[in-house]
Amino acid sequence: MLISESKDFIVSSASLKEIRSFSKDVFAKQDIPQELKDDLVLAIAEAAQNIVKHAYNGQTTTDKMKVKILFRDNEIEIGFFDTGLPVVPENIQHRKLDDIKPGGLGTFFIKKIMDEAIFRKDKKGWVNHLVLTKKI
Amino acid sequence: MSYEVKEEGNISTVFLNGEIDMDVADKAKTVISPLIEAGKEVHINLKDVSYMDSSGISVLIESHQKAGEKNTKVILKDISKPVLKVIMMAKLEQILNLG
Repeated sequence: MLISESKDFIVSSASLKEIRSFSKDVFAKQDIPQELKDDLVLAIAEAAQNIVKHAYNGQTTTDKMKVKILFRDNEIEIGFFDTGLPVVPENIQHRKLDDIKPGGLGTFFIKKIMDEAIFRKDKKGWVNHLVLTKKI
Repeated sequence: MSYEVKEEGNISTVFLNGEIDMDVADKAKTVISPLIEAGKEVHINLKDVSYMDSSGISVLIESHQKAGEKNTKVILKDISKPVLKVIMMAKLEQILNLG
């Protein structure tokens, strides 16, 4: 079984609500626990937020990012495509547990919720392609 | 996000409402920070916050730290389930003042 839905959004913090709404709608069609759905929506919102914050340094743009949610047998794969500044995966740091400071929490949440977060190089016309996966 | 502030003596209670994400985090900070700067004890009522992401959590951390610098405190009140979940996910339940 392979189900895939995707949508483009303007790279902006104002799009985050719309991204959450899209994700909720996609997950509503799937028979998975509500708690997992909520976690996945948070992970998606955090990844999208990172694109706005880091790939575009929070600057206003008309560029779009694509969010693609794919269900494959017992796995959910979520793809994020953008044309911002190239991400250097080695430079991504998430907050350490004993580090009480704002920042780095989004990546921390993503790593906690998802099984894997990797950048793929197979994108076509995109600069960054982040893939989050989770076994269900 | 919408908000309401109630003052009683040296305690200011900020009632936040709605979803707190990166788009509105600065607005929340703008409401809370001046109260802390004024030396008020700030209670943040989160009963009607239906969603909070890392940006919202960052506002809570910054507020907590700023209050410490000003020798006052920020107490989180009536924390909704979705907000408590992210606070616990961030392992902050022992750090922030949960009232």
